[in-house]
Amino acid sequence: MVAPSKPVTSKPDEVKPEMGRTVRFTIHRCDGPGKAARWESFDVPIEPGSNIISVLQYIAAHPVTIEGKRTTPVVWDSGCLEEVCGACTMVINGRVRQSCSCLIDHIAPRNGDEVTLEPMSKFPVVRDLWVDRERLFYNLRRVKAWVPIDGTYDLGAGPTENPDKQETRYKLSTCMSCGCCLEACPQFNLEEDPEHWDSAFIGAHAISQARLFNEHETGKQLKRDRLDELMGPGGVSDCGNAQNCVKVCPKEIPLTESIGAMGRAVTIHSLARFFAGKK
Amino acid sequence: MVANRERRVIVVGGGLAGLAAAVRVAESGIPVDLFSMVPVKRSHSVCAQGGINACNEVARQQGYSEYQHFDETIYGGDYLADQGPVLEMANWAPKVIDLLDRMGVPFNRTSEGMRDLRLFGGSLFKRTHFAGATTGQQLLYALDEQTRRYTSEGKINKYEFWEFLWPVTTGEGEDKRCVGIVAQDMRTMQIRAFRGDAVVMATGGNGLIFGKSTNSVICTGGAAARCYQAGAWYGNPEMIQVHPTAIPGADKCRLMSESARGEGGRVWVPRKKGDTRRGQDIPEGERWYFLEEKYPKYGNLVPRDIASREIFDVCVNQGMGVFGENQVYLDLTHKDPEYLTRKLGGIMEIYEKFAGEDPRYAPMRIFPAVHYTMGGLWTQFTPGTYDPSEPWGDHKPGMEAPTDAKPGRGMRIGAMNNAMTNIPGLYAFGEVNFAYHGATRLGANALLSCIFDGLFCGLGVANFVNEGPAAEAPAELVEQKVYDAAVESEQAKVRKLVDSAAGVGEQSDDVNPYMIGRELGIEMTAASTVVKTGERLQRCLAKLRELGERYSRVKLSDGAGWTNQSLSYTRAIGDMIVLAQAIAKGGLLREESRGSHYRLDFPERDDTRFLKTSVAVYDPSDADRCRIDWRDIDTRLVKPRARTYGKTESSPDAKTPTEKPAEAAAS
Amino acid sequence: MSNEKSSAVAAQHFLLRRLHSLTGIVPIGVFLIAHLTTNSSLLWGKIGLRGEPGPDGQPYTFQDGGVAYFWKEVFWINSQIPHLLLIEITLWVSIAFHSILGWYYATTGKSNVKRYPHQDNWRYSLQRWSGYIGIFFIFYHVATLRWGWTWLVPSGTKWSHDYSVSTLAAALQGSTEGWTAAGLLVSLFYFVGITLLVFHFANGLWTAAITWGLTVSEAAQKRWGFVCAALGVGMMGLAWASLYGALAVNPQDARVVEEQLLESKGKSGVPTPTGRETAAPADGD
Repeated sequence: MVAPSKPVTSKPDEVKPEMGRTVRFTIHRCDGPGKAARWESFDVPIEPGSNIISVLQYIAAHPVTIEGKRTTPVVWDSGCLEEVCGACTMVINGRVRQSCSCLIDHIAPRNGDEVTLEPMSKFPVVRDLWVDRERLFYNLRRVKAWVPIDGTYDLGAGPTENPDKQETRYKLSTCMSCGCCLEACPQFNLEEDPEHWDSAFIGAHAISQARLFNEHETGKQLKRDRLDELMGPGGVSDCGNAQNCVKVCPKEIPLTESIGAMGRAVTIHSLARFFAGKK
Repeated sequence: MVANRERRVIVVGGGLAGLAAAVRVAESGIPVDLFSMVPVKRSHSVCAQGGINACNEVARQQGYSEYQHFDETIYGGDYLADQGPVLEMANWAPKVIDLLDRMGVPFNRTSEGMRDLRLFGGSLFKRTHFAGATTGQQLLYALDEQTRRYTSEGKINKYEFWEFLWPVTTGEGEDKRCVGIVAQDMRTMQIRAFRGDAVVMATGGNGLIFGKSTNSVICTGGAAARCYQAGAWYGNPEMIQVHPTAIPGADKCRLMSESARGEGGRVWVPRKKGDTRRGQDIPEGERWYFLEEKYPKYGNLVPRDIASREIFDVCVNQGMGVFGENQVYLDLTHKDPEYLTRKLGGIMEIYEKFAGEDPRYAPMRIFPAVHYTMGGLWTQFTPGTYDPSEPWGDHKPGMEAPTDAKPGRGMRIGAMNNAMTNIPGLYAFGEVNFAYHGATRLGANALLSCIFDGLFCGLGVANFVNEGPAAEAPAELVEQKVYDAAVESEQAKVRKLVDSAAGVGEQSDDVNPYMIGRELGIEMTAASTVVKTGERLQRCLAKLRELGERYSRVKLSDGAGWTNQSLSYTRAIGDMIVLAQAIAKGGLLREESRGSHYRLDFPERDDTRFLKTSVAVYDPSDADRCRIDWRDIDTRLVKPRARTYGKTESSPDAKTPTEKPAEAAAS
Repeated sequence: MSNEKSSAVAAQHFLLRRLHSLTGIVPIGVFLIAHLTTNSSLLWGKIGLRGEPGPDGQPYTFQDGGVAYFWKEVFWINSQIPHLLLIEITLWVSIAFHSILGWYYATTGKSNVKRYPHQDNWRYSLQRWSGYIGIFFIFYHVATLRWGWTWLVPSGTKWSHDYSVSTLAAALQGSTEGWTAAGLLVSLFYFVGITLLVFHFANGLWTAAITWGLTVSEAAQKRWGFVCAALGVGMMGLAWASLYGALAVNPQDARVVEEQLLESKGKSGVPTPTGRETAAPADGD
């Protein structure tokens, strides 16, 4: 690959953000499960380098709507603010992403621009922009996303691994369970009853994690269990190949490749079971 | 009854230390209740980028050893750490790496499939293992996965989105013991007490006290502050590490890993003051590589405190900052872009994402930011078997490999008081444990100390429960009223805060918790970070008293009985002010400069007076609610020597030819 | 969930999913290709009959050649292919299986093209809509032209093997004399139906490769995408050619050619399919 010879500093077509501007934020709010939802708008003065988090922090300190009505600070989930923990995921202007990496300069460069914030729709709302993503983690349990080691005592080094494989696994392993792939997936839908979690679509993240652990020398031990789960209801065959997951993944994890790889694995797994009588 | 009683261990915090402890204790057959304010996979450990240190075979054959690692850590920490625990941590480092390797952490590999190593600050040997540029994330995920496995087997019970409020204790003086906690569900707001035969605090640092830091929004230090107010001692509160290279932002400062320097990143400013040209347009001869010139041996890889101070000095004192602002260049543009993507992809991405420029083609602009809390809950340990009369000498390449040499154990394995606070049954693991890093932490040692605590000291917790005081007087037999009283006390605090919200009509900044929090951050950053003076700290303490007074009248902006984040934040602000007072007072009384603690009015290290741990004891009768005691440090193995990292003189005018010392030293 | 039970449930779920995918290709897709190839002879039939004189000894015109070739194809299929009924039933069962299961599977998803207007996502939605509409179309198509539900045909024409082209054209155009408004609607429905079904097949072939794990890497998926797109374009050409052929021919003109062909077949002693209409396959509609 040839490196570009010219220094790249910014996109040429980018609108230069106006200084000292005010942007209107319209936020979907809900006081709790079963409570009525409402929209509230806030005008927020924008400092250079502002992101959605700093805007929400401003609103927390000045919770007054555009009608001049005093309200409560907006509730939202956040953590590292560096786009590695996955907590602050929400729907911004109709599209799911992390709010910490969403610079106001990029999405609302002009005075008077508007931005809407909504909670993710595929998980039950706890309050305002905060949703309960327990199902996402539950689905990792379904595919036994772990390496079954013998315990934490010192038993020497792990298996060696060639660098190519490490690169593949590392990429898959950067999944931060944010839920973007699930929010954008037409096959993954709101399911509030945990009783149904075992048979509802498991989602791209879990399929990709199954691949991650099937690729590991020791992780392979549980390969059959994982493939059985992926063959079953809500497994990899329930994927509709809309491929939204890979487009919204903030870590650019090759989720659709994982889906293809697991498709292949379950095909082989089932054939082996059929012809060789393997369990 | 006692024989088949239900034993339980409570772990508060789901980062590396908490998860390692939970897995270790669960593995030993004791059920664990794991509390975290966030799903454990989102804990702050994910932010660690660079790597994890451990002696390894390659370094060993070049003369490096666990002992050397220990020595570097002590030297880096400016002799402020007790040497036993640090020695044991260094001894265990290779085992920790092996274990993580077995758990499936995708460590970078050599072409032969071995774990690759990189050079990191504070060492001349390649001893840092790494997984891309998100090592902390990868390690945390490995432990999260093991925790998930134990959770599915019913051995660990996770309470996510639960906030620790207070440790429950019984008895007084000698008999005092921690028998559980009070916690609140952050969604339903339910307050409950939980019984535990031992409680492990693994709640991390307190960066949010400084407002914009590199820490996650959950790193308020609130949990540690609550234990401190409940009687736990707090060690070296003034030791706050400022990371030299962070990207200044509107909501927080984002870390630019030390690995950017480790991979050859060069720190410079234009030689011409206020140069308006873009960094990439300034010719080589007009750049002042001040770290390389002042520290020819370590160059850009000087330890963090030195780097921070030099950058601070260049910008604040000499006014040489880029574009006249508080920022310097961290330059990687001389490296192959593809190599950078492969080796530092994660952090390249962060800079591009949050600063809007591609660091492969334009030098990054960075400035120091509060990063790590060396201080923390004071903890004890049982010394191991090392023989201080025979300290190790330096090893040189070609000498007999020091594999067989036994420096002895620094801590006794399985001892019940390892990493235990002054309150029996209450442990502190990881960043909230003050024990390992002294006055400043070496890069890539934090992850190690967290996991080491969990694995090594976790055994002591199991022993405490199985054979120690908890076996004789299990928490199960403690009277219910002890727990009820603790819950009632917390409910009263919550009621007071929630009731204050009822009156919110016009909320003046005076009593607005967010404003108090912001002022706290600004004050602490100004007074108690890179450069401190007695006079400034005095003013800081006065400001903290003012903030404390205003906090007592604070008005909540949300009185909701469901998922009230405002309550949680406001409660933490109160605890942060208390801890800030200990930080400022410790800094004021430590009239010397040591590691990250730099007093302009006392620029030299003073081993006679201050080779001691400052121990803050909560004292409501004091104006600053704090008393500082001084405790001797165990320095029997490595005698304190000057900590200069081979500094020489340099100025922007002198053009010393520089090589890249790091790589030269490593080969 | 016990392991054994989950294993059995998994296997069953998996089997149904894969059968659904498989039936879409074999037999349905394969049949579709054959069907469109045959039908499009209405347009390219003269080329097939090149060098052969028409019944009147003159070379065929393009239109008559199409009619004649198509007629011969239908004649051949209905008189020469053994176990036609069995083949036909297999096909119907496959279509029913693919439709019912597909309909159920489609309801488990919720389209979101408005928020995520990616090309792949559009295809995801279109795959489902083409399925729904396709089911109606196939049912109408088979019911009217094969099962003789003439009350659904504007002209009331009953399709017949002996007059395969003229009855087809009349059924589509609305009357034996040519175009009517109702005929226009039916033709439009045909256009939409066949277009969507061809898309459904080509796109289904692309997704099936991922489902079965033939294409794993993004590059492979892209390459296979081009293959499927090319196949789809080709089939679309055949489909539109077929429809054009049926719409461009006047039923009465076609009737003339058919009479001539019937006569010549009668002379040569080859039995005509007349009288076996109900038992013969719908091939060649």
